Amino acid sequence: MSKVNLKINGKTVQAPAGSTILEAARLAEVDIPVLCHHPKLANLGSCRICLVEIARQPNLHPACTYPVFEGMEVQTESPRVVEMRKFVLDMLFSERNHHCMYCEMSGDCELQNLAYRYRMDRWSFPSPHPHMPVDATRKYFLLDHSRCILCRRCLRACSDLAANHTLGVKNRGADTMICADMDLSFGESSCVSCGTCLEVCPTGALVDRRSAYMGRTAEVQRVRSSCAACSLGCGVELVVRGGQVLRVESDWDRHNEGVLCVAGRFEPLEQTREKITRPLVRRDGQLQEATWVEALDALVSGLRQAAPGGIRAVTSGAVLSEGMNEFVNFFKGKMGVPVHLLEPALAGSELAADGGLKDVDAADFILVAGGDPLASHRVLGYRIKRAIDKGAEVWLVSGKETEMAHFAARCLGLAELDSAVAHCMESRSPVVVYGADLTAREAGRLARLRGKARFIPLAPSPNGHRAQVLGLEPAAGWAGAKALFVLLESALLQEGWLQEFRRPQFLAVYASCRSPLTDQADVVLPALQWYERQGTFINMEGRNVDVHQAVEPGGEGWSVQKLFDRLSGCMT
Amino acid sequence: MSKPKIATDWLAACAGCHMSLLDMDERLLQVLSLAELTSCPITDLKHPPHEGVEVGVLTGAVNSTTNIAVARMMRKRCKILVALGDCAVFGGIVNMRNYFDMQEALRCAYVETPSTVDGFVPASEELGRPVRARGVDQVVKVDVCLPGCPPSADAIFHVLSELAQGRIPVVAGETLKYD
Ligand code: SF4
Ligand code: SF4
Ligand code: SF4
Ligand code: SF4
Ligand code: FES
Repeated sequence: MSKVNLKINGKTVQAPAGSTILEAARLAEVDIPVLCHHPKLANLGSCRICLVEIARQPNLHPACTYPVFEGMEVQTESPRVVEMRKFVLDMLFSERNHHCMYCEMSGDCELQNLAYRYRMDRWSFPSPHPHMPVDATRKYFLLDHSRCILCRRCLRACSDLAANHTLGVKNRGADTMICADMDLSFGESSCVSCGTCLEVCPTGALVDRRSAYMGRTAEVQRVRSSCAACSLGCGVELVVRGGQVLRVESDWDRHNEGVLCVAGRFEPLEQTREKITRPLVRRDGQLQEATWVEALDALVSGLRQAAPGGIRAVTSGAVLSEGMNEFVNFFKGKMGVPVHLLEPALAGSELAADGGLKDVDAADFILVAGGDPLASHRVLGYRIKRAIDKGAEVWLVSGKETEMAHFAARCLGLAELDSAVAHCMESRSPVVVYGADLTAREAGRLARLRGKARFIPLAPSPNGHRAQVLGLEPAAGWAGAKALFVLLESALLQEGWLQEFRRPQFLAVYASCRSPLTDQADVVLPALQWYERQGTFINMEGRNVDVHQAVEPGGEGWSVQKLFDRLSGCMT
Repeated sequence: MSKPKIATDWLAACAGCHMSLLDMDERLLQVLSLAELTSCPITDLKHPPHEGVEVGVLTGAVNSTTNIAVARMMRKRCKILVALGDCAVFGGIVNMRNYFDMQEALRCAYVETPSTVDGFVPASEELGRPVRARGVDQVVKVDVCLPGCPPSADAIFHVLSELAQGRIPVVAGETLKYD
């Protein structure tokens, strides 16, 4: 790529042709302030805070949109520029209602930081104190129009990253307001609460309700991890303070590129189930708190009584790989017990998992078969919608009603799978997204596309891929089971998972939260909470992703590895 | 040369800024060794002397005709006027009153509060009339602004000791906070 030579504040810089002044300045480590600019969003040039002076040009120009040219000389902090920036800040502060002393964002606000940087010890224009509404109709976060500077980052994030197109603006000039759909409240709107807008808002206009006022950047720690709520394994940053996870933000450098879904960003912290923090053992018909030694004793004797043929063991596919390995090693390897998977598995293990979100971006045709990414793997669903915005064609083959159907060019029944396969054959860079609703025969028909298309599985459990590698499958039935061990962890047991399940003589459950299953158990072993565990799982792209412990365990929960380590000691 | 004189007064304020001033603790003595404190709302002498002071400090927003009179008197009697705290600088939390109709706000404060018995809106001739809340600089010229809710004792010490030594303080970095 050809280079352009320019000078920024007297510093010589070489920048790729076509870069903006802002990009060139970053190469030269010159800090130009921005508000409407966001590195992951298209530039808009609306806020004018980044204005710079270019030699021999009468007007100031926005650095975030102005392209560099050979011999350009730029001043980013000249008296004229600084005066104009202060004027822009004055206008922004006087337009609406900024009361930093009780604003949630104070200390972390990009607008406030700039006011400090330019030493704004007073506002030149009095605010008219306009009445501004607060939209608190959404469960997880609110919009306070008083703090909105109309930078439209939220709007671009919603349209270009989440591809949801909920946000827009209404009115003109000083009456301009961010609004949802055709001016609905957010609660009634098409918003899917992915929170991408919340994450890019530079001010206290969009505020997370749960973590509001609970800690500023300087007071919190950030732990990079992966969301394990579905097999996408989106990159997240857990914001932690005082042994508590305050909120979940996204990791912009991972495959999800800053986008999360409600199940990854908000729902994990909406824990309403009672946590299990101590071992429980059934005595005289009642589950009672016990020590780990007592619980292990009860477990060992329960298993021994059913041995050798009466034991069954089942794990959730939400368990991390290290734990799943230990589980299989112990029960299958050591005890010779049949091991199973709790969640349904994907048919078509012969289909590859060789596609990723980047392939979706590049696809001209996407075939979604036997699943609904917008319900089960939402960030993938958003990415598919993004591809549609860019011109990709999506066909949906499903026997059920799906969210995705609203966006697909064609919706076919499973019987018409072959015509979709044929269309796929004729495309340039097709992607096949396949889900658990396909039978083995239908999956076999898709197999013809191997080599032609990239395949993305919608595994029904986060670490379903690992379970598949370990040969775990759902059990056909539980007849003959005298003792059952369930490695549930934080998975929420769903109807149909334990088919024809009847409570065996002895039931042991390893779980982090109370559920109807733990209530029936003879021994309940406390698991680590999702934010206390550490390990890896195989995500939808077939890659190992890390889950990091965010806080020290608050209860007596053990990791799966520790559990089986101690159990092995007891059984020999 | 005699020590420069400082006078302070408050307008519509919660007294927090003056509490923060007291928070300077032993550094108050340092300030007093550099300057003479002629009057302030928490000493016996409340009003700035007729002969004037070098530095006048106002905390609180302008919220009534009385506040306007006090601000004008201070302006007249001082050389350098300091607006201290968010309320004095921007109108601060007092501004929230501007979102309501004045009569509604008065009724709410004097009649409808649950703890009020036989309440009425005071209307004596001697009392000031409420006006739209605003910062001091919308009524009189202000020379030095120190925002903060309240400004920290460190910030106040910095500003007062600079002024007492005849310098105009630079309000920036850790001294400049809006909360
Ligand atoms: S949005 Fe920023 S500038 Fe506005 S009140 Fe909040 S912290 Fe202050
Ligand atoms: S809500 Fe936030 S991101 Fe959206 S326009 Fe307003 S300030 Fe910008
Ligand atoms: S939460 Fe997501 S869908 Fe809703 S407005 Fe924000 S970006 Fe759009
Ligand atoms: S798409 Fe899956 S991995 Fe990503 S945030 Fe949502 S639940 Fe988590
Ligand atoms: S950051 Fe350049 S115009 Fe807003």
